[in-house]
Amino acid sequence: MSVVAPQLLGLRVARFRRRKRLRPGALMDCWQAGLPSPRTDWRSLDFLVVDAEMSSLDPQQGELLSLGWVAVRTGAIDLGSASHRVLRASSSVGQSAVIHQLRDLDLADGEKPESALDALLQAARGRILVFHNARLDLAFLDPIACSCHGTPLLLPVVDTLRAEQRLLSRRSMTPRAGDLTLTGCRARYGLDGHAAHNALGDALATAELLLAHASSRGAGICLGDLL
Amino acid sequence: MTTPPAELAGVAGFLRQSLPFDVLDEAQLQEAVAALKISYHPQAERFDAATRPMGLRLLRSGAVDLRNDSNKLLDRLGEGESFHIGGLNADAEVVHATVIEDALIYLLPDAAYQRLRAANRDFDRYFSRQRSRRLRRAARYMPDDNPLLAPVARLMTTDLLCVAPETPIQAVAAAMTERRVSSVFVTEAGQLLGIVTDRDLRSRCVAASLPTRTPVREIMTPDPQSIDEEETVFNATLRMTQHGYHHLPVLHEGELRGIITTSDLILARRNDPVYLVQHLSRQDSVDGLRELLTGLPDQLLTWVQTGMRAEQVSQLLTAISDAVTLRLIQLAERELGPAPGPWAWLAFGSQARGEQLLGADQDNGIVISDLVPAAEHGWYAALAQRVCDGLAACGYAYCPGGVMATTDSWRQPLAVWQDTVASWTRAPTPAAVMRVSIFFDLRAIHGDPTLCTALQNTMLRRASRDTIFLAALAANILASKPPLGIFRRFVVDRDGEHRDSLNLKKRGVLPITEIVRLHALARQVSAVNTRERLEALAEGRHLSIGDSRNLADALHCVQQQRIRHQCEQIAAGTAVNNFLNPRQLPRLAREQLRDAFTIIDEAQSAVRQTYRAGMG
Repeated sequence: MSVVAPQLLGLRVARFRRRKRLRPGALMDCWQAGLPSPRTDWRSLDFLVVDAEMSSLDPQQGELLSLGWVAVRTGAIDLGSASHRVLRASSSVGQSAVIHQLRDLDLADGEKPESALDALLQAARGRILVFHNARLDLAFLDPIACSCHGTPLLLPVVDTLRAEQRLLSRRSMTPRAGDLTLTGCRARYGLDGHAAHNALGDALATAELLLAHASSRGAGICLGDLL
Repeated sequence: MTTPPAELAGVAGFLRQSLPFDVLDEAQLQEAVAALKISYHPQAERFDAATRPMGLRLLRSGAVDLRNDSNKLLDRLGEGESFHIGGLNADAEVVHATVIEDALIYLLPDAAYQRLRAANRDFDRYFSRQRSRRLRRAARYMPDDNPLLAPVARLMTTDLLCVAPETPIQAVAAAMTERRVSSVFVTEAGQLLGIVTDRDLRSRCVAASLPTRTPVREIMTPDPQSIDEEETVFNATLRMTQHGYHHLPVLHEGELRGIITTSDLILARRNDPVYLVQHLSRQDSVDGLRELLTGLPDQLLTWVQTGMRAEQVSQLLTAISDAVTLRLIQLAERELGPAPGPWAWLAFGSQARGEQLLGADQDNGIVISDLVPAAEHGWYAALAQRVCDGLAACGYAYCPGGVMATTDSWRQPLAVWQDTVASWTRAPTPAAVMRVSIFFDLRAIHGDPTLCTALQNTMLRRASRDTIFLAALAANILASKPPLGIFRRFVVDRDGEHRDSLNLKKRGVLPITEIVRLHALARQVSAVNTRERLEALAEGRHLSIGDSRNLADALHCVQQQRIRHQCEQIAAGTAVNNFLNPRQLPRLAREQLRDAFTIIDEAQSAVRQTYRAGMG
């Protein structure tokens, strides 16, 4: 069991520094829900597993196209909590439409990024966010949060990619190309291919990976082991 | 009720393909999707009546065993199959479920499950039927058609010897001797008056010094106990053992139909391999043999369920093949007349080694004495044709490679055979190496065994001296790698008919027998059975005791899995083959199989060092 959780300590410091800039709203509600103890057993925590699709992997050029999420409660995914949001894009989707199955037409009907983020934050209140490769998703979400709430999200985040990477290196295995992709990680737990590349489908696939990862590590796995 | 986002189409699609969700309408299906909880359960996790939350569990991936409280396997569930542990435990029997392969489970919680059952009759009916379906499945494991419960009519002899009450005892005894029966009925106008047995002749006539002209009526047992032809063999056995009878008349509506004796009852035990072999040797036609062999898969199931080990099972199956072959040869000889000169019927491969399982092909040949003139060789060809056709009719498929006595090159005089062996060893082409691997395991099934021994001695002498030939055999062995990848994961066929499975015969049994055969040839060990070869090699200190035992254990483990797999296929009513998906094995069996392949790998390295040192 991990006693120190550098991520949580870092969040406390960062939040303290920016507390004056935070504007009232959904993000403030999340902050006020407090930070969980790293010693909490993962099965008694609530998670919100999120995936975002963007028009480019570069946050400078691309923009957020859609968000999907699903909640994990007491160690089980609750499909009733699943949500999928299509965002209104300011520029044409271009080639990425081929990947995300989202056309300009769909995106024109979409909602504003701010309101999608609010919906996400409402769902995330009291829950730990989970992403596969969190850095990329946060690079798109944090600027939106900054512009409407005054600060980056600064919420506790479990990254299944990093968790898997740590697991592999602890077993002294050097990951090969593809081993750390969502599909590659899932394959190690006998989870077969999923209909990839819509935000909710990937969020669900990530949630299944989270369950497999945490369950396979045995009893007594707590938040600190996953962060 | 909320409608789940359209992006969950993958989940909805999976439900739609799984019974009984296929009967739900679109709205009901969406309701089910929105209610689902997904969880992941590592191997060995258990569900029982107390497990919460309650609901229907549908396997998205992985496998689960359902067992009752005496741990009898009721069902093995895989992807797309579901169970409701509370529902299963509603009856008297206690059922629990154990994850045997890491499982991703979709749980439909009880509230939603009951709502759907109330809303959809077909969905509901599926679950009220499920219990009986499962029981039926479990019952398939029971060997049915218990011979003790068959009607007496099936076993009785109908060819009766009847005499009139006034017939002199001497005439009765003469008739019994002529017909070779041990009992006779005394009848008048079709009515059974009494029965006379061998024992009555001894005790009531000879011992009592009765004149042999006395009418048989004087010594008969009047109004004997009888049995109706529709009663069971079990009842007949009971009546005979309780009263000490050896003969029981069989009646139907008061009319004499036949007789049943204690020896009929003994022979009725068809499940006993001894009696099966006996029965085989009494058949007068190929049809009769084939008929008897139809029960073989069920018998195999019984043997394995009673804990018979793999070596014993294959010994018995080989003994049965031998009996069939022998009887076919005798039937052919009856038709063709006696052989023109000494010869021997040879079995090759697994039959020769005594390591056969179900579904074996034929591998056979004939060696003819050099004394038989070529003009007489036609007799052997005709015999081979009858025997091989008969074997095929009995379920032993023709050898795809033509290794059969019907092929001219596999039916030769001893001297020609010896030349052939010499040419194979001189020029070990891949084809020759293949033939050698079949041919060097041989055993005489019928005929003059010295011919077989002479041939074997030639082979051993030639092969053990020829290092180039041994190196060629070694190369053949090294060409097939054990199916273990990095991290000792199984390497399975990726596509084709047997996707994700391992051929246990090709990847497990053959490499071991080939390695052991090579050592045996090199050391002039004449044993043919792999286990015996290993013992001889260890005794002669050609292999360490540890290596010898390891290989024997590896073979045992692989054969055990093959038999277990074949039994499952028999129970499921599918065709028997050697393709096994290692992921469907229980953890322990999987580990053992992995160990077996590791041993093969090590034995291959030893082969490389011994026979191909410096050859790469």
